[in-house]
Amino acid sequence: MHTETPQLAVSRVFDAPRALVFRAFTDPDHLATWWGPSGNSLPRDEIDFDVRPGGFQRWTEVAAAEPDLRVHVYIDLTDVADGALLEGVMHVCGRLQEGFEPFETRFRIEFHDEPDGRTRLEIRQWLPAHLAGPSSQGWLDAFEKLDATLLHLHAATVDVEV
Amino acid sequence: MAGTNQLSAVFSALADPTRRAILDELAERDATVTQLSAPLPMSMPAVSRHLKVLEHAALISRTRSGKWRASHLETAPLRDAADWIDRFRRFWDPSLDGLDAHLAALQAAEPTDTKEP
Repeated sequence: MHTETPQLAVSRVFDAPRALVFRAFTDPDHLATWWGPSGNSLPRDEIDFDVRPGGFQRWTEVAAAEPDLRVHVYIDLTDVADGALLEGVMHVCGRLQEGFEPFETRFRIEFHDEPDGRTRLEIRQWLPAHLAGPSSQGWLDAFEKLDATLLHLHAATVDVEV
Repeated sequence: MAGTNQLSAVFSALADPTRRAILDELAERDATVTQLSAPLPMSMPAVSRHLKVLEHAALISRTRSGKWRASHLETAPLRDAADWIDRFRRFWDPSLDGLDAHLAALQAAEPTDTKEP
């Protein structure tokens, strides 16, 4: 569906069968247990899932340290294959942590079998298009090339400060 | 944290290969438009237009010394942009650690729980 290179790619293997890992993402009781930065909680009565192509996943995240910070997450699921794929657009709004404004981000999560009953997650994420623009590969290259320079300059600055 | 307008200006400035080449040059040393134009297959006015875009994104600053204006790489906006991307990347690791722990706990409780209806 998205030919544009994703800006984030995360791959990780879990020591659990594929059906169970998929359920961890699609069952409200499961997701409430593990999702989000530690310290956040997901009020159970604000979780609403309808997992199917064209369906949705909705929940609210509450920060333990600052209960006033309530983040609303609305996912429009564009594609779902049971036990294998979740793809959609995540809309994040509400009172977000500092540095974030409400945004939406496309994602694709693939669930793959690995030997010995393990499961490999392949997460792809496209950052908010209104900010990051369509030509992501260009600036990803730019960051890579300029990284050494930045680190060098940063180190020099620290030297001066110290 | 940089505002969203500045972030989109930075990303859009970086989307062009010529402007990235210019930044690569400036990462080495400050340079005038004449110096920057020399290795590029385009006119000085064209390079000047690219410099304006970079200046608008605050990726470069320009100083006048005598009759020359030298361009200087400003790294802060690049760091802001990289930080912004990192915030998204950093979300996943702790969250997936939580998933890992959750899956381990489930299977410790019910080692054969793979096909629960």
